[in-house]
Amino acid sequence: MILIDVIRKDLRLHARDARFLATLLLFSASCVLILSVAFGPSFQDPAREAAATLWAALFFAGVLGLTRSLELEGESGGGDAVRLSGADPYAIFLGKTIANFLLLAGVFVFVLPIASVFFDVGDLEALPGVLGVAALTLLGYAAWGTLFAALARGLKARELLLSVLLFPSLVPLWIGAVKCTHALWSGGSIEPVGDWIKVIAVADVVGLALAAFLYEYIQEASE
Amino acid sequence: MNETSLTPRWWNPAGRALWVTAVALVLASWWAAATFAPVEAQMGPVQKIVYVHVPSAIVTLIAFGLTFAASIAYLTTKQWRWDAIAASSCELGMVFATVVLISGPLWARSAWNTWWTWEPRLTSFLILWILYAGYHVVRSSIRSASRRTISSVLGIILFVNLPIVWKSVEWWRGSLHPRSVTMTGEMRETLLLSMAAWIVFFAAAMVSRLRLEWIREAALERA
Repeated sequence: MILIDVIRKDLRLHARDARFLATLLLFSASCVLILSVAFGPSFQDPAREAAATLWAALFFAGVLGLTRSLELEGESGGGDAVRLSGADPYAIFLGKTIANFLLLAGVFVFVLPIASVFFDVGDLEALPGVLGVAALTLLGYAAWGTLFAALARGLKARELLLSVLLFPSLVPLWIGAVKCTHALWSGGSIEPVGDWIKVIAVADVVGLALAAFLYEYIQEASE
Repeated sequence: MNETSLTPRWWNPAGRALWVTAVALVLASWWAAATFAPVEAQMGPVQKIVYVHVPSAIVTLIAFGLTFAASIAYLTTKQWRWDAIAASSCELGMVFATVVLISGPLWARSAWNTWWTWEPRLTSFLILWILYAGYHVVRSSIRSASRRTISSVLGIILFVNLPIVWKSVEWWRGSLHPRSVTMTGEMRETLLLSMAAWIVFFAAAMVSRLRLEWIREAALERA
């Protein structure tokens, strides 16, 4: 099945590139450290500052991960091979989205305890909610990121272009994730910010739906 | 090169007529704003910025909407004319969006006592501006044949932000922008005249900008 094959291919490429993965994790931890120092030493609203720091670190690290995925695909020639196989473009897109989602989820799992410790926030009770918010947000990030990364393939200064296009597009996701994480870490209830869950879900659906129509054209352009 | 043979026979006379109408309407709208429309009681003469700000915002939405429609048409038909329309419209949309971003703070300083505030419509419009600026950066950085396809895909993806800007005052609390502008009498008539003037101005600029695209395409064909 092409979906599974693409996920396996992308994850294998990342696994072979352990040095980059280690650097990515160090980079995300450094972001948390720098922002915690900037906000500290005495935090005014630790839950809010921790939520903003966590997601800022994740979004910056995510762009590096997406860019590296593109480079690895280009170097290995795996992307061309998959395209030439005549596989359904949307299945390829979904496979790459899931692989990127797993990469981002890995970074999240690494950064979450660091942010919790540095800002002294979060408890086990809030953890399922935070993980749920993260899953929904990272799915959207992966979908939009994969779409834009495919667009930026082959362009000069693609890291910059990816940031210029991706970050503004992800603002609804980012604000939603920060608001929901803040609510969970400060009060435990997500109800007051329930509308933001809808915003994140809509962003996810729109990203996945746009790709269903457009990924074929993006692939065609990169041939 | 005889450029008149590159565009339809009616093109230049139609363009000239549109320019004459546009300039006459813009001058009439300025006259109406300065003398016909009354001075608003609370804000004074600064309120007259609305006769530039609101029409520019409307034209921005029309321009980016046209980019969206023409991008779909290009991906469907693969005719370069649609791509030319999309790119030209996006370029002019950026000009009007910049006018909105400059006239907005001038108004805000007087009405809200601040040049800038992180308010839903201001924020979403700034994001819109950054994204469409990114469209031009991406477009200008592609020299290959895929330029038109990539630009069209981007023209469709970025359109998702327009409903967000439009509905931001309803979807998010804390908006300083009114949900709808209610004007009566001379103020309403002046605003409608200004809108008509800037829409015709946009149409005239589009005709001139498209003529350049036609000439460029013909030159490329002959080269």
